[in-house]
Amino acid sequence: MIRFDFGTAALRLITLLMMTFLVFPIAVTLVVAVNPREFILPPNGFTLDWFRAAWSSKTFLRGMGVSLVLGIAAAFLANVLALPAAMALVRNNFPGKAALNIILMSPLLIPTTIFSLALYIYFVRIGYGSGLLPLLVGHTIHIMPYALRILTASLHNLDPSYEEAARIVGAGRIRTLFSITLPVIRTGLVSSFALCFILSWNDFPISVFLAPPGWTPLPVELFSYIKFQYDAVAAALAGSLILLSALAIVIIDRLAGLRRVLRS
Amino acid sequence: MIRRVLPPLAPALIALLVFVAFPMLWVVRTSFNELEAGAYIVDALTLDNYTRFLGDSWYLINTLWFSIRIALIATAISVVCAYPVALYIARTAGLQRNILLALIMAPLLIGLVTLVYGWIVIFRGGGLLNSLMIALHVYDQPVRYMWDIKGVVILLVYIGAPYVVLSLLDSIERISPFLVEAARNVGASRWTAFWKIVFPLTMPGLYAGIVIVFALNFSAFAVPLMIGDSNTQMIGLVVYREALLNNDLPFASALSVIMVAVNAMILMGMAVFFGRLILNRLEVKR
Repeated sequence: MIRFDFGTAALRLITLLMMTFLVFPIAVTLVVAVNPREFILPPNGFTLDWFRAAWSSKTFLRGMGVSLVLGIAAAFLANVLALPAAMALVRNNFPGKAALNIILMSPLLIPTTIFSLALYIYFVRIGYGSGLLPLLVGHTIHIMPYALRILTASLHNLDPSYEEAARIVGAGRIRTLFSITLPVIRTGLVSSFALCFILSWNDFPISVFLAPPGWTPLPVELFSYIKFQYDAVAAALAGSLILLSALAIVIIDRLAGLRRVLRS
Repeated sequence: MIRRVLPPLAPALIALLVFVAFPMLWVVRTSFNELEAGAYIVDALTLDNYTRFLGDSWYLINTLWFSIRIALIATAISVVCAYPVALYIARTAGLQRNILLALIMAPLLIGLVTLVYGWIVIFRGGGLLNSLMIALHVYDQPVRYMWDIKGVVILLVYIGAPYVVLSLLDSIERISPFLVEAARNVGASRWTAFWKIVFPLTMPGLYAGIVIVFALNFSAFAVPLMIGDSNTQMIGLVVYREALLNNDLPFASALSVIMVAVNAMILMGMAVFFGRLILNRLEVKR
């Protein structure tokens, strides 16, 4: 905590306004989603009918299925790629380490539009048909830097003497990894997985470029829906996504600390 | 050393090579290709795709210059909104801090489409914003936010400001509180202490935030796609349209190359500007 003793009241007011600005559209969506009178505010009651309608729509359910499978697969792959890299970066000092770190973080520095377009062109040009691979690759690469960041932070907190002890009593590399390293950094793993999953689950720009026909993730499905009608069913679906994201934020904050996860 | 470090790093590096570096190079190559009837790409070495964009004053004014302007405006507003918030969060602690951080990060984690839905409810003709403004007598007639440049800028600020807050927070938290205290002890007013000590030391964070948000705004396609109209043809949106709707991959590739090049030039210009600014402050102190 830092004490700068100036303009406290003004800063507090501006922060309050800014928070209102940030929360307002989220709150509005949630209110519309449970308001029995479609769009007429203030609400005059509470209903879950819109949620029921959203959750029984075939299109949305299919979108959820796609997003779920995609999110789990991409989060898993991103962590599998990031974990060994994070271990190598934390345990060793070598020339060019900083540069290597920037390279590994590079998917964050490239505008998503360019990155998605590049992958799209790439798969078109190599003659790849309409499969799920481009979508999976796009999501995995895009979220990998986040996994790397969380895993690096949790490995920093891991005392290497635990692993040394395991190795001394005769455990192999694999055994050490599974019975010492992974259990000790499990909170980091869980929050990394949660963050990766929620970023994939909510992603729109990458999916819109790379989703093959018939495999539309939920955000793209929601987008096509609200292009033509923004009724309370859409609000309920958006509301469900918000609640899921809120859950992920709480999990990540409890386990890893939000601040460490999302540095700029 | 290399033999110990390389194997664990290899999978991630190979993935980046195959699925980032290589496709990006391929975009550059494709930008020199030709498109034949039926959307077939023919290998060629032509600058047609570049001259088609750079030689067309409509594109230059309504797409390139428009995107630069919108990105600069939205970035400037984001910075002005974010700076006080970052200063405030830097001195909070415990639960209040956690709540503020969660709220700042919520727009980054909740998907864009979800957030846009909320904004549509607020923006539309008889929506909340217009009702509020008319009730407060700010104006009398409903104003268009949806499918309009105003809505696009508001949304870009909404998405961009949290990034600026986070990168500023990085800088502010590195400032030793003793510096401010020392300045105050030798008689600097609070305001002087801020301008001479705190503000210059937040320059790196400010610059980092501006770099991220400007690139984000300049290449935005989802926001103008969802909120904009035919008058908000930002360059990212044109890339999206040419690639996915018109299947003109060579032209879309050329646009991407132009986008990255212009972005880099503007950021270099800003780096020079920020460098001067910091140097000037050092001069003044001496």
